[in-house]
Amino acid sequence: MTAETTTAPAGAAAAGAAATTAAGEVLLRVEEVSKHFGGLVAVDHLSFEVRKGEILGIIGPNGAGKSTILGVISGFYPATAGKVFFQDKDITKLKTHQIVALGIGRQFQTSTLFMSLPVTDNVFYGFHLDYKTAIWKRLLRWPSARREEREFRRRGEEILDRMGLGAVKDEITKNLPHGYQRILGICIALAQEPTLLLLDEPMTGMNETEIDTMLELVRGIRDSGVTIAMIEHNMTAVMSLCDRIVVVDHGQKIAEGLPQQIQDNEQVIEAYLGKDEMLLDE
Amino acid sequence: MNNPVINAVAARKRLIGFVILIIFFAFIPAWVKSPYYIDLVIMVMINAGLAMTFVMMLRTGLISLAVAAFWGIGAYASAMLAMHAHLSFWACLPLSVVITALVALIAGYVIIRSAGFTFVIMTTVIGMLFVVAVGNIGSMGGYNGVSSIPAPDTLNFGALGKVVFDSKVDFFYLGLIIFVVIILVINAFYSSWAGRAWNAIGLNPRLAQSMGVNVFRYRLTSFVVGCALAGLLGSFYAHYQTFIIPTAFNLFPKTIYIQVFAVLGGVGFATLGPIVGAAALSFFNEAFSGYPQWAIIIVGALVLVVVVFLPKGLLSLWEVPGRIRGWRQAQAIKRGAEAIPDAVEPLGLDTEGGER
Repeated sequence: MTAETTTAPAGAAAAGAAATTAAGEVLLRVEEVSKHFGGLVAVDHLSFEVRKGEILGIIGPNGAGKSTILGVISGFYPATAGKVFFQDKDITKLKTHQIVALGIGRQFQTSTLFMSLPVTDNVFYGFHLDYKTAIWKRLLRWPSARREEREFRRRGEEILDRMGLGAVKDEITKNLPHGYQRILGICIALAQEPTLLLLDEPMTGMNETEIDTMLELVRGIRDSGVTIAMIEHNMTAVMSLCDRIVVVDHGQKIAEGLPQQIQDNEQVIEAYLGKDEMLLDE
Repeated sequence: MNNPVINAVAARKRLIGFVILIIFFAFIPAWVKSPYYIDLVIMVMINAGLAMTFVMMLRTGLISLAVAAFWGIGAYASAMLAMHAHLSFWACLPLSVVITALVALIAGYVIIRSAGFTFVIMTTVIGMLFVVAVGNIGSMGGYNGVSSIPAPDTLNFGALGKVVFDSKVDFFYLGLIIFVVIILVINAFYSSWAGRAWNAIGLNPRLAQSMGVNVFRYRLTSFVVGCALAGLLGSFYAHYQTFIIPTAFNLFPKTIYIQVFAVLGGVGFATLGPIVGAAALSFFNEAFSGYPQWAIIIVGALVLVVVVFLPKGLLSLWEVPGRIRGWRQAQAIKRGAEAIPDAVEPLGLDTEGGER
């Protein structure tokens, strides 16, 4: 592991960013988290924070451990070392469904959807945690059970309309174009009314128009009061969308700061282009 | 897969269909006088019920090969309570359900953690172990089984008269009531959020988890409910047959048959699929019973034909005309497209395989 020293020490970077994002309160704190898969070190003593109301971008070359860190936060992978705090509560040891209940929603990198079901049902299933009515009341079609059902339908359709999927709500999910499936993944996460939304490469495989739509949607979600942490490869999108960026390489944080700072950071350029090319340039 | 969209019209249609089916069943003894055929219908109901529990567990991704074993646990629990504790059938029935559910809870707590292949193996072990264990316990009758299990006590409804369980027809109606209860319980779960969580787990456990579904707990629920219902059928079976042997509850052929019923009818159909599957296989068996040496081969071949040409089960037969029409349309479009190439502008919506 070629452990490069962090350009800006964590404290300094945080101070620099805090000055610009009006000292937002910390929502999620990742502390010295490591994740090993057998002998492979996917994440290596990584620390960063997500502040309330911001869009945090996590970037890095392929295989840098970006998706793994989202997996650790959302409880899919147990962390080998370190801790994750959400709203000052230690969530490192919690199971995925418990973490979801606390308010961390997640969209997946690959299209993880209920492909054989209509679009509305995908969102509808997302209301699982809000369900209150007892089983026997559902069987007897008790008025309160029907009211609850209607309420969920209404809320689901509201989300779909807001995200621009209103027109295709009755389609079978597998027939949707790829871009729509991506958006649907976010809709499902939104059904749980998360405080923090984790997006795993929401713009992969999209064309220019779709990326523009996605940018608008993500901004809209942020403006509705949801904090967002996202992994993304599309640099233009990241630079225009994110308030702050964390750059990860070989499982370690190599830089953190505002988009402009990241763009000018030599270590980041090096990580993306490779050292050899840097030497050639010199 | 059943579309779980709650559609009031479809739900009412289903309810009407269900009521008609039950009325049809209720009138069977009026037409069929032969005790042999009454017995056949009772066995179809038991088999269909067992196949329903199998489908129910399958929905959450649990392939249980211990269906027959839990059926047997219910049967033996009921028989032992009746023979040794001298309890009435009406006490044995609920008690055996509770006992089966408890066994399922303990076993499930251990084996469901490793859903998937390990679960299949573990249920296989339970399925085989049950027969060996019961067969080697002398006080439970060993391999010779338990005989002269008492029939249910007479039900006295006072002025309305009484029901004496002394003929197959009486057992038929008791079985029908149990059968209806099972269908209602299963439908209650399916239409509730538990059922929807099951569906979600079956379709995609990872996504279900990130929706806040406690995958382990819901899988355990489905396993316990499924096994408890099998236990209920077991209790009824024991007192109906009055004679049970451990090998009747063996993995092979009983559990395998249960799976065949489910697959034959169509696993996408939670309750009607198993009914059609169990009824169809009994019908095939009867139709070829004149040629015992050929019966199994012919029935096996028929099952194979259904599985290959109707992978969604016999109940998907009604989809066939639509599928043929769709195929014809596709062919026509293909021919048209070949005749006038590039006549249709690409919509530009599908970005699959676009830039990565």
